[in-house]
Parts: sequence; structure tokens; C-alpha cells
Amino acid sequence: MNGPDSLVWWDWVGNHLDDIAAATSEHLQLTFYAVAIGLAISLVLAVVSLRWRRAYGPLVGFTNVLYSIPSLALFGIFVPITGFGFVTAEIALVSYTLLILLRNIVSGIDGVSPAVIEAADAMGYEPWRRFLTVELRLAAPAIVTGLRIATVTVIGLVTVAALIGSGGYGTFIRDGLSRSFSTPIIVGGGLSIALALMFDLIFIGIQWLITPWARKGALR
Amino acid sequence: MGAQGGAPVIAEFWDYVSDADNWWGESGLLFLTWNHLRLAFFATLVATLVALPPAVSLGHRRKGGAVAVGLVNLSRAIPSFAVLVLVVPFSLRYGFGLGFWPTFVPLVLLALPPIFANTYTGLAGVDRSTVEAARAMGMRSREVLRSVEIPAGLPLMITGLRIAATQVVATTTLGALVAYPCLGTPIVRSLQATRDNGELLAGAGLVALLALLTDLGFSLLERRLSPWRRSTADPAPVASIDESGLTPVT
Amino acid sequence: MFKTRFRWLIAVLAVFSLFAAACGDDSSDTASTGGGDEPSAPVDGPTIKIGAQDFGESKILGEIYKQALEAKGFTVELVEIGGFRDILLEAFASDEVNFSAEYAASMLEFLNENAGEATGDADETVELLQAQLDDLELTALDPAPAVDTNAFVITDETAADLGYEKLSDLPADGEGLTLGAPADCETNPFCIPGLDRVYGVDLTGGFTPLDAGLVADSLAADAVNIGVLFSTSAKIADEGWVLLEDDQNMLAADNITPVVSNAVAEAYGDDMVALVNQVSAALDTDTLTALNKRFDIDKEDADAIAADFVAGLNL
Repeated sequence: MNGPDSLVWWDWVGNHLDDIAAATSEHLQLTFYAVAIGLAISLVLAVVSLRWRRAYGPLVGFTNVLYSIPSLALFGIFVPITGFGFVTAEIALVSYTLLILLRNIVSGIDGVSPAVIEAADAMGYEPWRRFLTVELRLAAPAIVTGLRIATVTVIGLVTVAALIGSGGYGTFIRDGLSRSFSTPIIVGGGLSIALALMFDLIFIGIQWLITPWARKGALR
Repeated sequence: MGAQGGAPVIAEFWDYVSDADNWWGESGLLFLTWNHLRLAFFATLVATLVALPPAVSLGHRRKGGAVAVGLVNLSRAIPSFAVLVLVVPFSLRYGFGLGFWPTFVPLVLLALPPIFANTYTGLAGVDRSTVEAARAMGMRSREVLRSVEIPAGLPLMITGLRIAATQVVATTTLGALVAYPCLGTPIVRSLQATRDNGELLAGAGLVALLALLTDLGFSLLERRLSPWRRSTADPAPVASIDESGLTPVT
Repeated sequence: MFKTRFRWLIAVLAVFSLFAAACGDDSSDTASTGGGDEPSAPVDGPTIKIGAQDFGESKILGEIYKQALEAKGFTVELVEIGGFRDILLEAFASDEVNFSAEYAASMLEFLNENAGEATGDADETVELLQAQLDDLELTALDPAPAVDTNAFVITDETAADLGYEKLSDLPADGEGLTLGAPADCETNPFCIPGLDRVYGVDLTGGFTPLDAGLVADSLAADAVNIGVLFSTSAKIADEGWVLLEDDQNMLAADNITPVVSNAVAEAYGDDMVALVNQVSAALDTDTLTALNKRFDIDKEDADAIAADFVAGLNL
């Protein structure tokens, strides 16, 4: 008989659809802001690194340090400063995206063939226009890859963020932990995985859409 | 206590780490570090033993690349925290208790995909002309594997180990939530009991340091094994599977 | 060229529309209002913000007071805060929260820095508590009869093996005992320090800090042989475990005591206070334990459990 002590109590799931929807919304918001802000910061850092090559090493080193700090610790460090909830979670989550995005953006731009750059210059593009319309465009696949990795990583980390009260699917996991109730744990964990996979596929799709020149049969 | 600036927090940190009592003894930082590392090492080792044979075999035959990519993406999506919480009741029921074994499971799951995927790609990605030359010289399949493919694929295998080991070292911290004495313990303690920022920073700082050292250690090993690679600030472009030298697999 | 730009647009739009859908729907608190058949006319004044911590009992109590107040027309919000008293006090100070169901003796000892003033008498303890609260511009309302304090629990097998019935039975060096309790047990005056102070028992050697939810499971699986649970936890009776008697009165009056900010008390005056006191008076230990049982064992929702209780009050 399916009930509270079963692995998944389906009635509970049916009765809590609005809570699940709310948690989904929270989880998505946390992810979106973290990746969006992370992208903005990383773009700035990338431009800096491309202008001043020597800055790249230290920047990567610094973001690497941030990345290496376990999520629980990073959340814990900010709690005394910014308290519980959304803001603290966001600060830590953004930190985790920086290394991935910075490296991908820079390597993407680095990967643009010098011949193309010269051609653009020869056609009279000003440096900024060239950067935006040529280099960024060609670096887009690498950037999208970075976004893909960052998004999936952040979705997993948001579950831990629930420990500091930010909401999301982790709330279900904590609830289940506190009263030995497996259903919300499986719902929370399962949905988190599903969400991550969904975004993985979306980004693969985006990558396919924006690189017509890499598709089979395309003229080089 | 609460929203403070940086200065008093640093003072608390200094107070904590300069007190020798916090380092020695049964729940001292040194013991916790040791405990942390031994679980991380063991989990990584087991993951390697499990992942390596199939990865080598499939990589040699160049079959199953899609599986490798899929696995890695899937694993990045799985929140270790959720796995840990799910494992605990089973661990308790079957007599494995709290602490070591419930934490071991999500760590192995975390380490498997990078080791598998990078080993696979390392072997499968060996230059075909080299392999064919070896075959033409009369080497049999197993010799090709041993003398050509594995040495050529070694750098990527080490990359996989590097990524796996670093992530495992960082994630072992979660063990503190299920009573495994590790570097997560001061973090959890300070969050839930002592409210001592010094303790929090000491635990967090040590884990970060260990993770970085692990990353660095394996990086050096990678570089040693592939002297033909140009050394730049960023030796390997980040590609579609993870921060490894893998080229985008479409 | 046009085609490619078009694809870009689609890609970008796809991502943004996804997130727009997420942002459009912020979670709102839609707990049912219990109480009488028709809610009273709305009362003017500041929103009552009840701080609830994230364990079952706190959520249930938060919902009970919320629904009772709403039934009488007050505007109430439930705010989740971290499970630490210092965070709660900060929340009061910053007006993030202006109402909370607290535990008299524990709060007193927190504020007086473990001076040991709390007694077994609820009224006495609350008076001392109020003295501390004056500085913080908070008021303690009437304590409920319900007491939730630390319960030191052993399984019936352990009780049979070792013959322990009360806390005085525990060996001074804590030999053979592994204590499973939330991390704060180390510093909580009604936990390890209390055992030492009153019974001369030192359990620091075998102490295993555990998340509150894990203590019961660990005790059941014999991963620890003595656990600290809430005295209102339904698990104790459910499992047939033995609650070690506090024969030397280490534990003090941890009655449920609503604490409100002076601003709210003044804004609403006697009517609100009387209502809250009426609710509190109906909360006794057995009732609270039964409510907890519905949450922890039957896995019901806090707001549904609270609704039933408030309905039974016939406000």
C-alpha cells in the first residue's frame, strides 16, 4: 500500500504540486541570476585578460580558489556577512561560475583564427565592432559550452543552498532529512537532476543553432 | 554576532588557528584533515578501479563515446547532497552506520564519470596514423594498447584523475552532515553550535587549500607526462565535456 | 546571413522565455485559514511577522498562531529564519520578524549568558526572561502549559541491558555511552554542560554531533546508544523508548512562550494579547506531542495540522 513510509508516496506528490512549482521557480531564479551575473562578470574579466595577458593567470588562479572552496563552506563564510537567504546564496553561486565561464570565454576568443581577424581588420572594422561582431560570434560555441557547464553545476549547488534558507529543491531534501521522509528527498533530488538535464539539452540545442558552419555538409 | 565587517572575522580566525589545542587531539584540525584525506583517497581509488578497465577497453575499441559524454553530463547534474541523504537510511538499516560509508557512496559516484570519460577519450583520441603505423610494424592489438595507446593517452587519464580527485576532496566536506569527522565538521559546528567564525574559516580554508593542492599536484604530474605540450597560462582549452583537454564532441 | 541572425534570435528568446516563466511566479504563502466560519473584518496595523525555524514543531506553532490571528482579521506573514537564536534576535532587531514562539528557559539562559537563573517554575522563569527582554524592546506573553525540553532517550534494549531509568544512573565518566545530539548540545546549558553541572556526568568523549533528524534513526540503528530528542517528540512513545528521568531537575521551564515586539504589542493592545494567550492556554504537552506526531510520523503538513487545532479552539 502506497503511503508515507513508501519510497515515494504519490498522494503527497499530488497534494504538493503547488509547493513543487514554487520550489521550481525559486530554483530557476537562483540559477538564472547566478549564471547571468556570473556571465557579466566573466565577460569583464575576459576582456581584461585579453587586453592585459599577464592578468589572466592570476585571475584564473583566483577564480580557481573560489571554485575549490566546498559549497557548504562558501555559504557558511558569507552567512555572518550577508545573513541567510537569497543574497548569500547568490554570492556563493556566482563565485562558482566564474572559473568555468572565464576560461571558456577566453579560450573561445583565443581560438578565433588570426586570418579571420585580419580579414575583418582589412574590411575596415573598428576594434570594438570587430570584437563584438566577429570574435564574440565565433567564440560563441565555447561560451555556450561554458554556460552549459556552469548552469548544470549551479543547479546542483542550489540544492545545498537550501541549507541557508534560499529555497529551491533542496528544501524538500531538508524536510525529508528532518523527519525521515523519503518522498520529498526523491522528489527534490530527482527534479534537480531533471532540471539539469533539461538545461543541458537546451544548451546543446543552442549550440547547434548558432554554429551552422560546423554542421555536416555546410560549406567551409 | 551577525552582519559584521571583515576585520573582526579575521581576528576570530587568527584566534582560532593560533590556539594549539585546536590542532591536536581527537577532534583537532590535524586529525580531521587526515580523516578527510583518507576518505577522499579511498573513494577516488575505488572509482579508479571501477572506471578504468571498461574505459580502457572501450577506448581501445573506440566504442561507446556517446556513453562517456552522457555519463559525465549526468553526473554533474546529480547533487551529491541528495545522494548522501538518500543513502543514510540504507546505510543504517544494513549496519554500515553513519559517517564513512554513507559519504563514500556519493563520492565514488562523483569521481567515476571524469575518470571514465577522460580515460576513454585519452585512448580513443590517439592519432590514428600512429596506431596504424604500429599495427603495420606487426604489433598485435594488446601490444598497441600497451605500448602506444596508453602512453599517449596517459596525460588525459591523469587529467581525469585530477578533476575527480579535486572534486572528491572538496565534496568530502558533506560528510560532516552525517557525523563523519572531517574538515566539514568545524564548518557545521560553527554554523550550528559555536557560531565561531574562526572555526568556520579554519575548516573552509583548509579544505580549499587541500583541494587546490590536489589540483596542483596532479597538474604537475600532467605536465611532467606531456612535455611536448606548449606550456601557457592555460594549458588546455576548456571543451565540451569538462575542464579537460577534450575537443568538442558533437 | 539573415537566416543565421534569425536563429540567434530564436535561441536567445527561448532561453529568456524560460526564465521569464520562472520569474513570473513567486511563491506565496497560501495556507488555509482555520478558525471560525467567517474571518473577522480586517484589523488595521502593522503586519505581524511570525518567525518560524525550520523544524517541525516550530513550523506547527508558527502556523497555529498565524491562523488564529488571521481568523480574527489580523494580517500575518510567516517568515522562515535560520535555526539559531542569535539570528532570531537580529531578525527582531531589524523588524524582519516581530513575533516568535520561544522556549522560556532556553531563551533566558541564552540572554543571560548561561547564568543559570531559569527554574522549574514557568511564571518565575518568564518574569526573569522579561527582565532580559526589556532591553530588546520585546515582550513575553503568557507561557503555554506545553513544555518542550531536551529528552535524553535510550532504547528499551539499552534500558534492559544497562538498567538506566534516570539521569542519576549514568556513570560519571560516561563510559560505554555514545551520545547523539544536535551540534549545539556541546554548549547548550541543558545538554552536555548541564549533565556535567548537575549530575557530574561527562559525555563529551562519546559525543557525536548529528542533524536533529538523524538522531532518532541513529538511535534506532544503534549507531549511538543515547540520543537527545525533543521531549515532545512522538517517536519516543512510538518506538517504546525510555526517557531518562531528570530526577535532579537539571532541565528548567522550557514552556512555549510567545515573544512579540513592543511595537506590535502597543499597536494592537489587549485584544491581540488576549487572543494569543487564549491559544497558548490550549497548548499542553500532550497536545503538542500529538501534533508533532502528525508531522513527524504521519508526514502531514504543518498548516493542515495547525488548521485542525485552531478549528478546535472555536475562536
